[in-house]
Amino acid sequence: MYALAALGIILVWRTSLVMHFAQGSMGMFSGTAVAFVLNRTGAPLWASVLVGAAVAIALGFAVDFAVIRRLRRATAVGKEIVTLGLIMVFLGLAPILFGTEPMLLPKAIPDGALTIGDAYLSYNGLLNICLGVAIAAGLFVMLQKTKIGLAIRATASNEQTARLMGIPTRRVTVLAWAAAGVLGMLAAVMIAPATTVTPTFMNTVQVTALFACVLGGFQTFYGPVLGAYLIAVAGNFLQLYVSSVWGEQLLYLLILLFLLVRPNGLVGKTYLKKV
Amino acid sequence: MSTTFTAAGRLARNPHVGYAVFGAALMTLPVLAGSGLMMTSTLMTVGFTLIYAIVAMGLNLLLGYSGLISLGTAGFMGLGAYLAAYVQDDLGLGFWVAVLAALVIPTVIGILVGVVSLRVRSIYLAIATLTISEILLKTFEQAEWFTHGTAGKQSHYPVILGVQADRALVFGIIVVALVLVMMLTHNIVHGQLGRALHAMRASEVAAQAMGVNVLTYKLFAFAVATLYAGLAGALYLFFLKSSYPSTWNLFLSLNVVAMVVVGGLRSIYGTVVGAFVIFAVPELVLKRLPVIGDVAGLPYIFSGVLIIVVIMFFPQGLRGVWDVGRRMASTRRPVSAPVDAARDEVAAR
Repeated sequence: MYALAALGIILVWRTSLVMHFAQGSMGMFSGTAVAFVLNRTGAPLWASVLVGAAVAIALGFAVDFAVIRRLRRATAVGKEIVTLGLIMVFLGLAPILFGTEPMLLPKAIPDGALTIGDAYLSYNGLLNICLGVAIAAGLFVMLQKTKIGLAIRATASNEQTARLMGIPTRRVTVLAWAAAGVLGMLAAVMIAPATTVTPTFMNTVQVTALFACVLGGFQTFYGPVLGAYLIAVAGNFLQLYVSSVWGEQLLYLLILLFLLVRPNGLVGKTYLKKV
Repeated sequence: MSTTFTAAGRLARNPHVGYAVFGAALMTLPVLAGSGLMMTSTLMTVGFTLIYAIVAMGLNLLLGYSGLISLGTAGFMGLGAYLAAYVQDDLGLGFWVAVLAALVIPTVIGILVGVVSLRVRSIYLAIATLTISEILLKTFEQAEWFTHGTAGKQSHYPVILGVQADRALVFGIIVVALVLVMMLTHNIVHGQLGRALHAMRASEVAAQAMGVNVLTYKLFAFAVATLYAGLAGALYLFFLKSSYPSTWNLFLSLNVVAMVVVGGLRSIYGTVVGAFVIFAVPELVLKRLPVIGDVAGLPYIFSGVLIIVVIMFFPQGLRGVWDVGRRMASTRRPVSAPVDAARDEVAAR
């Protein structure tokens, strides 16, 4: 699920060159919408997720149309600050629209676990991992093989040239924002059963997803996914064998140290700025 | 007669005198509160506003001059607060050592984080500080011996130079600290460091070609920001006499960003105004509005929407609005105003 959130961030970064700090809170918002629909109407999980996806797409569209598109003249820092502002708006809106009580989201597969040696893996965890891999793989195929994927990649490599070549870069950008929203929503739905649905439950996901991008490098689409799985595995390992309280902090520090050795990430290329 | 007049005029135009007068005006507030003309809760709100103004001043230096965002403000501020409480109450070393600890330790950590993250790309600082902030927040919750965990750390008013402080005195200390921070920031901006930062802002590459060590100056700006955060954290603790982990979350960092953006980048008074708009207005005005005043998320939406609107329509923040107003009011300086505008426009690109 970190991989999905990280994919959303990288999609937005590559197409509109905005560091998407609001990925977590947008995911939280539509994730809360899922929980709201589920708890209030008693609709099945899949239907709620569909509603959540609709909310996420609408949010992505709204944000791009109302804000990001009008920021052409603002600096990169200005755009990042705007995503910070978006975090606050979504955090403020969620309790007003969906109520302040924490909600619960059930697992897609309620119980049962797979035992491999000493470790055990719940079927739900397995489903999440498989879904994550499948969605990531699907996205890659789309990026590499389809016309839309080509348009996204062209926009990512150079927006101006892409526009000159007749690619509707605006539509690509809006698509990226909507896709990022859906990915964030899915990540929220996957992580929700482990905690309660409150406005801040996606903070860790946001941090980890950003770190996955850093670890994997911002230049490729697959780097962040790789980074996310590495972080998840390493995090579990540290929490199990070193300290359940301090494992996470230790992991973050390790990644910071890793930046000293490979500043551009695992599969990153050197970043050159043209003058 | 005329010489004294010009001397007085020069004195009045000296920005440091302006800051001192501003501080003196603020000093009258505890007197007002003491005489019952102003509610004590209002005094508390103003006090916290000034504390946040100190933090925001540091972030303004960072964001306004080097274009870096720090999302770890709350973490460093909390660290300052807990250190001050730990040194003053648990170790019993007194006010000055407590302040020193709150200044030095966050700054050292900040410099370490900066060294690691600033070498690649500016945006890494935001990610790294966000992470550090999360780590610190977890630490505040877990390290019972240091912070008393989620139950909150209790402290008391400090003893300064043999005098037991009360609320009014601590308020006075906050004002003095703010004035000192304003003067220091002014001197940094107008000194050699400021010139280097200005050059970097115009073009990093050009500045580098001129022999400005970009990394060092970015690091310096970030160090100053953490220094101010540590100071503000200590002041926060002395003013409130307690500290809870939940205070030092991401919203506080975002709010500080909002203060800087709303107040106007590279504006010293603007930062104070920004702190007032973001912190005091929700506290004093929004909470008292009928119907919507009770809604919990309202201050967040208020700050968030303000950030977005300001970036979209007033890239110069409230200072920009102020400048436009002043230009319309007086056309006595027709030369400098267009130059200013042109420079701002270049900066906005």
